[in-house]
Amino acid sequence: MKKQSILSRIFLLYLPLIAILLFILFPFYWTFITSVRPAEDLLGRVTYWPSSVSFEAYRQLFTTTVDFFAAIRNSFIVAALTTAVSLTVSTLAGYAFSRYEFIGKRALMTMFLCNNMFPTVLLMIPLFTIMRTLGFLHTPWSLVLSYTTFTIPFSVWLILGFLKDLPMSLEEAALVDGCNRRKAFLKIIMPVLGPCLVATGVYIFMTSWNEYTFAMMFTNNATRTIPVALRNLIGQLGVRWDLLTAGGILTVIPVCIMFFFAQKRLVTGLTAGAVKG
Amino acid sequence: MVKKRSIYPYLLVAPAVLTILLVIFVPVLNAILMSFQSYDLRRPQEIAFIGLENYRAITENTLFWGSLWRTFAWVGFGVGFQFIFGFILALLLNHSFRGRGVVRAVSMIPWVTPGVLIGLMWRWMYDGNFGVINDLLNRLGILSTNIPFLSQVETALPSVIIAIVWQGIPFFALMILAALQGVPSDMYEAADMDGANKVQKLFFITVPSIKNTIFVTLLLRVIWVANSVDIIFTMTEGGPAWSTQTLSVFIFNQANSLNLGIASTMAIVLAILLVLVTIPYLRISFRKED
Amino acid sequence: MKKKWLKRLVVVATTAIMGLSLLAGCGGNDTETPDGGAAENVETPDISEDTAETPDTPAVDGATVQFRYWADTPEFSQLMQDIITYFNETNTSGITVVGEEAPWDGGGFAENLFNSVMGGADIDVATWRLSSTPLFVNNDLLADLTPFLDTWDGVSDIDGNIWANMREAGGREDATFVMPWNLQILYVYYRPSIFEEAGIEVPTTYEEFLAAIEATTIDRDGDGTPDVYGFGLRGGPGGQEPWGSFVHGRGGSFEDMTSAESIAGMQDFIDVFQNGFAPPTAPSDGFSEIIDNFHSGLTAMTIHHTGSSGGMEEVFGDDVSAFPFPAGAGRWTSMADTSTVIFESSENKEAAFEWVSFLATGEGQRMWTEGTGNIPVSGTVQAGEFFQNNRFVQASIESQGFGGVIPILDTTPEWISTIFPNTIGQALLGQVTAEEAMETLQDALYR
Repeated sequence: MKKQSILSRIFLLYLPLIAILLFILFPFYWTFITSVRPAEDLLGRVTYWPSSVSFEAYRQLFTTTVDFFAAIRNSFIVAALTTAVSLTVSTLAGYAFSRYEFIGKRALMTMFLCNNMFPTVLLMIPLFTIMRTLGFLHTPWSLVLSYTTFTIPFSVWLILGFLKDLPMSLEEAALVDGCNRRKAFLKIIMPVLGPCLVATGVYIFMTSWNEYTFAMMFTNNATRTIPVALRNLIGQLGVRWDLLTAGGILTVIPVCIMFFFAQKRLVTGLTAGAVKG
Repeated sequence: MVKKRSIYPYLLVAPAVLTILLVIFVPVLNAILMSFQSYDLRRPQEIAFIGLENYRAITENTLFWGSLWRTFAWVGFGVGFQFIFGFILALLLNHSFRGRGVVRAVSMIPWVTPGVLIGLMWRWMYDGNFGVINDLLNRLGILSTNIPFLSQVETALPSVIIAIVWQGIPFFALMILAALQGVPSDMYEAADMDGANKVQKLFFITVPSIKNTIFVTLLLRVIWVANSVDIIFTMTEGGPAWSTQTLSVFIFNQANSLNLGIASTMAIVLAILLVLVTIPYLRISFRKED
Repeated sequence: MKKKWLKRLVVVATTAIMGLSLLAGCGGNDTETPDGGAAENVETPDISEDTAETPDTPAVDGATVQFRYWADTPEFSQLMQDIITYFNETNTSGITVVGEEAPWDGGGFAENLFNSVMGGADIDVATWRLSSTPLFVNNDLLADLTPFLDTWDGVSDIDGNIWANMREAGGREDATFVMPWNLQILYVYYRPSIFEEAGIEVPTTYEEFLAAIEATTIDRDGDGTPDVYGFGLRGGPGGQEPWGSFVHGRGGSFEDMTSAESIAGMQDFIDVFQNGFAPPTAPSDGFSEIIDNFHSGLTAMTIHHTGSSGGMEEVFGDDVSAFPFPAGAGRWTSMADTSTVIFESSENKEAAFEWVSFLATGEGQRMWTEGTGNIPVSGTVQAGEFFQNNRFVQASIESQGFGGVIPILDTTPEWISTIFPNTIGQALLGQVTAEEAMETLQDALYR
């Protein structure tokens, strides 16, 4: 019995996990060794280990005009603000859509779904004018506003999807117990919605962390975000592989660390007791 | 479902609706209007309303039809494999094992990586002369000579699809993982007592319990991938010989050429196709509430 | 006409929506919703930290010039900032140039710039590629430099041919919209050691050049695939420049790409690939790839300009040299330019002109061209020691006499960015014949 379960763990858990992780992590490994190896290693015979290791590229990212520290800070400000605003607004709207019936609801839900179907590249000139009129140009607000426009509809639908998968019995039990709707929302729904909010928040954060088109148009040197700073490393004279890959690593690591802490909330919030309760 | 005539739901959705209207109402309206004009900013003096002429013109363009079929392949295979691998990964990450937190964190890497870097790294790995993929396949004895993956028509599109699959796995994994947390454990306990095996539990408990999340994430991802440009653009710019030009890349190219009338027309066609994809879900979604 | 109508619509609609949002913001306060959404954003536009929006003074004295540029490497970026600092400290009119760097973005620089300027951005001067000129001129976005040039003593320091190119790009007889800055003239890089191995000399005619490509394709280990390819052919973005030299080598031209001569030149280009004298990746190879292939010793020759010469010398020392593209029935090489423009919307055109003229002939010209290795437009700077003692610069200057540009029409940017690479890809991969490809190229350029 015990032996079989170890075997099944190997075949049903560890082996597939390792296979998927290899696929996911290999390009990342390749990015990392490109960032620390000398340029000569890039051409000619492929080697899987750098002939010598140097962190010079990382130093240059911060000491040259790339000014990567400012880019990380700007990206962080924009992504954090966007996440806070979008998540709040979307949770309210998602709750309204899932628990209330009101006139215009279907039209609004459809509008939300259609919102992201249009390529942003076609909206640029009027959007630029709007941002300039509002006085948001070259400030983080221009990006927060544009990103929320595109993250809110998706987040609303995501939250709606999660809410529908939750058993209604939960809330009804609370309402029977005499809670009012707001209290039921805060006391019952919010806690079990935890994993969903984390997931949606991560979605919003990543989307705004990596967006390029708007960031290019609405920022200047002082407010530019990571994708714009990285794009500056690809000139007509080729790609600065060392700086670009080093920048990529530095883009990925802080977010992964943040996610490591956030994922602790991704545990079963819904126990048998809560339902019966 | 409750209270028909309450102001409360309107207050709850107002911030979301107003933000969206403020930012994209005018630009989208403008883009729709452009599709009925010969709106080519390279020749601003010739801009005029021409009715449905743009729509007729694109149906006669063989590049448009080619791009359309490639869009189906790009979305179908791209999202399909993202979903399959993402779903498997979510199930695996839902087990408890030592180091799970770290594994969950590193699984998100593709999604955090900036699009331009994804495109360039994959392009570099696919390189026909110095690429690591050719080297690996040679070492494993699968190939004897290098394949210029991105330089020939037959391999270019599958190659970019693999890159988008790589990028999209974490999104599905994360969303499904979150949804799995909402499946009450007593349902599994009951199934255990009935002697259900793992596959039965997967298809009769897990999937039905998270089906809304699956539908929504699939739908959102279809919309997202259909409109995505950056990975194809940095890997191939739509080439060689148009072999990776999807509709969104075509629109992007036309918009960059400032031929905004044609670009808008194609964007509207793409949006209509996406609406057609979403209608079944919307119908199911609305019907259940009644 | 249309633009004004659009602008008005945008402003009216924006104001209306802003009003709505403000109302909604008040409504929101009555409830306890933790609303941090759009409404609040609108109420506090003074969050803007933008210094660029301080009102401009029309006089030159103390004027601020907003300058948008791209930098191909972080080193060039630093160099440009040094030049800006130098100008700000030394100019006598109290002009302050504010540099704003934007990514080259594979040519997207121009479109981003266009969208910004159409959207009303506050930019006075930008670095420029000639091919974008018709788009901007047709939308009345560029300032005519003629009144400034008439009184500027630097005009004669720049070759008349260059001025003619600048004027032609604008499409108007009586106006010059573009200020010259520096040139990139294409020539052929080659590896003397591989030439020696193949037992050939530097080609002096187009036919010898084709023969040299074949001769330097060498299979050293006899496994059936070449270890060195004769020519690093560029079939991806930017390939039109070397391709143009082949077309002209057979006596063809850009004006009639469907002539028998032009088609023969195209056929040569295709044959180099199909006969296996170029790497199999050629249909998608762009700048980085042709340079990487040459650096790694995979190719014996490739075509590029002085921008890459520093890297070449670093890798090969003396085992790399250059020759001008040889003459056949005709002769042509690409003389690309990087230039500057002043926008019509600029309120500081005089100050802006001081800055662009400083870049064209002044100390700015010397600093930039010596730092980047690009060919100066200023005769004085070109005659300097720095440029007279460099074999790559010499190959460029020798090529100047037959250097030219691809016809600059409003269709040119699209032709360069998508139509050419994909059509040439179809031709190289055997999907269409040389003749069919040339018809496509001709129709798309002269649409």
